[in-house]
Amino acid sequence: MKQFNKLLSPNAVAVIGASPDRSKIGNAVLENLVSQGFEGKIYPVNPSYEEILGLKCYAEIESVPGKVDLAVIALPAKLAPTVLEQCVRKEVAFVIIVAGGFSELGDEGRKLELSLKEKIRGSRTRLIGPNTVGVLFPHSKVNTALTPGDRIWFPHEGQIGFISQSGALGLLVMDSITENGTGISGFVNIGNRADIDEEDLMEMFLGHAETRSIVAYLESISDGGRFFSTVKRVNMEKPIVVLKTGRTSEASAAASFHTGALASNDRVLEGILRQVGVVRAYNEVELLDFGKALAYARPLEGKRIAVLTTAGGLGVLTTDLLTTEDARPALSMAKFNDTELAELKKHALPIASLNNPIDLTADGSTQSYASILDLLSNSDNVDGIIAYALPQTPKIDSSVIEPIMSASGKKTTIVGVIGNRLTKDLMLQLEKAGIPAYPTVQRTVAAMKALYLRSTYIRRLLYGS
Amino acid sequence: MALEPVFGPQAVNLTEFEAKALLMKNGIQAPRGIIVTAIPDKIELRFPLALKVSDASILHKSDVGGVRAGIVGIYDLLEEFSIMQKRFPGSQFLLEEMAPKGVEFIVGATRDQVFGPVLMLGSGGIYTELYHDVAFRKLPIEKADAVDMIREIKSGIFCRGFRSQTIDCGSVVDLLMKASAMVLSEKLGIESMDLNPVIVSSNGAVVADAKISVNRRK
Repeated sequence: MKQFNKLLSPNAVAVIGASPDRSKIGNAVLENLVSQGFEGKIYPVNPSYEEILGLKCYAEIESVPGKVDLAVIALPAKLAPTVLEQCVRKEVAFVIIVAGGFSELGDEGRKLELSLKEKIRGSRTRLIGPNTVGVLFPHSKVNTALTPGDRIWFPHEGQIGFISQSGALGLLVMDSITENGTGISGFVNIGNRADIDEEDLMEMFLGHAETRSIVAYLESISDGGRFFSTVKRVNMEKPIVVLKTGRTSEASAAASFHTGALASNDRVLEGILRQVGVVRAYNEVELLDFGKALAYARPLEGKRIAVLTTAGGLGVLTTDLLTTEDARPALSMAKFNDTELAELKKHALPIASLNNPIDLTADGSTQSYASILDLLSNSDNVDGIIAYALPQTPKIDSSVIEPIMSASGKKTTIVGVIGNRLTKDLMLQLEKAGIPAYPTVQRTVAAMKALYLRSTYIRRLLYGS
Repeated sequence: MALEPVFGPQAVNLTEFEAKALLMKNGIQAPRGIIVTAIPDKIELRFPLALKVSDASILHKSDVGGVRAGIVGIYDLLEEFSIMQKRFPGSQFLLEEMAPKGVEFIVGATRDQVFGPVLMLGSGGIYTELYHDVAFRKLPIEKADAVDMIREIKSGIFCRGFRSQTIDCGSVVDLLMKASAMVLSEKLGIESMDLNPVIVSSNGAVVADAKISVNRRK
C-alpha cells in the first residue's frame, strides 16, 4: 500500500505538544522517538520552548521547515481540532491524536470527534485515533508510544503486524512478548478510529513486505460488510488472527424467533471468521502465539504430527492435547512404516520409545536427536513435527537448534522449550532463527492446531469443501 | 452492544400455511396441507395428520395448546377438531400430513446489526435450546459454506452415518442454498425466519414447522 508508506517509514515526524516535563505525554512520545533511534527529522512543536531534548523546537506545525509525514498531537482533546486543521494546511500525511475525551465520552465528545472528521474531509491527511497510545514500526525506528521508555520493553523488528483497539492491552502484550524475543513488524492502536480503521491497517500490512502475519485485537466491528470482504481478501495472502472481546454479550432475549435469540455477537462472529478462513484467538497470549506460528512456520499440509522429546511425560501430554478436540479440532499422531521404524531404531538407544511420541529419554543425545529429526522431516507419513528442545539433560545442549532449523526448512515444525534456567537463551536463539517456539506444552500444541486450521480454511476457500 | 434483529417497522408474521406455501414455491419441501374452518367431507391428505391453529398472531402454537399431531383416522380428527374449535373459537386451522421420521435440524435467518442477513443451521428439537449447537454464516453463502455449517454442528455426524442411520445431507445443503436466496430476495422482503424442525431422512429434508416474518413495504 503505497499510500501508507509515509506512516510505515516517514522521513520527518513532528511531536505537537512536545515537552521537557517528564510527566507529560508529549515528553514520552518525543523521548521514545529519539531513543528508538529514528533517523529521519524530528520536530518538537511547542511555542513555550526554544529547544527540547537538544532538538530545535517550533512554535507551531506550520512554521516547521520542509514536509512532515507524520505528526503526533499530544495535546488536550479541546485543542485537537484546531491543531489538526493546521496539520491539514501543512499537508501532513498522517496525524496521530493521542488524547481521549471524544466519542467514548458521550455526546459532547462525539461532536468533538465529528469535528475532527470534518477537518480532514477532502484532504490527503489521514488520522489515527483519537484516543490512541500511538504506533510502533521497529524497521523504520518509529515509536510514538505514550508510555515512557523506561517503563516497558518495546519489541524489536519482527514479522507480525499488530492492530489493537485497546492501547493498554497492546502496550502490555508488546512488553510481554519481548520476554522471549518476539518482534513485530508494526503496531497501531486504532483508538476511536475516527478515520483509519482495522481494515485500512490490514490493507497496509498486506502491502508491507516485512509483515508476514497480522494479528488484531478488536472490541467491536463498525462495518460488518467491510470487515468481511477486507478480511477475506487479505487473509488469503497474509494470515490474520483475530481476538474479539465481548463474547458473553447476549443476543436479544426479547426476540420471538429462535434464530434471533440464538444470534449472539459471538456465535455470529464465530461463523463469519470460519467463513473468511480466519484463525481465532481466545486470549492475548494465543493472539501473538498464533501470529508467530503463522508468520514463521511452513503451512501444515495435513494432520499427521510426529512428536520428538527427551522427556516422556511431555510426549504423552502432547499426545493427549493434540488428539483431543477442544476449541480447535483434534490432530492425529503420525504412524511410521516398518522401514522408518527400522531407521529410527538405528539412531536411538535401545531404551528409547520409538512409537510416536518418540521419547529418546533423558539419556538421549543431540546427535541422536538430530538424526531422528532429519528422518521425520523427510518422512511422507509426517505432516508436522513438534520437537521439544530440552537442554536440561547432560547430552542435549543448545546445538539442537541446528537440526531443528534444518527440519523446519523441510516440514512444519513447532518447538516446545520447557523450563527456565537454561531455556531462556535457547528461546531467544530459536526466535532469532525464525522458528516458532513456546514455553508450555499447551501453547506448543495450540500453535500447531492453529496452523492446521489455517490450512483447512485456505484449502476450502481455494478448492471448496 | 446487544444484538437485536432489526425488524422493519412493517414486519408481519406469516401464518404457518403461508410460510410453507412460500417455501414450497421456492423449491423447499414441506408437508401437504389445507386450511380449514370445518372438517371437509372428503380429505385428500394421507393420515397420520397434524392439526394446528392458524393465526398469524399466535407465534408459538404448541405453547398455547394449538398443535395436535399424530392423528391417525377420521374419528380421531373429528374429536381433536372439536376440542381445538372450542379452544380457539372463530380461528382457521391448518390440517397437514405428518413429516416422515428423521433427524431434526433448525434452519433460520435473522438480520445482524453488524453483519446484515445471517443464516443459521442447528441441531433441532430440544438440542437447539439445550446445547445451542448452531452455526451461523453471513449471506450469501456458497455451497462450501453450507457443507461447513453441517460439519460444524453435532448433528452433522448423521451425514457421515451414525448407528446405521444415514440421512440425505445433500438435501440440507440444497435447503440452505435455497433459504439463502430467499432471504436475500428483496421482493420477498424476509426479515426473520425459523424453520424448526426441519426433518431430514434418507429421502430428503422436509420443513415440519415454519415461522417467517416479512417486510410488507417491499
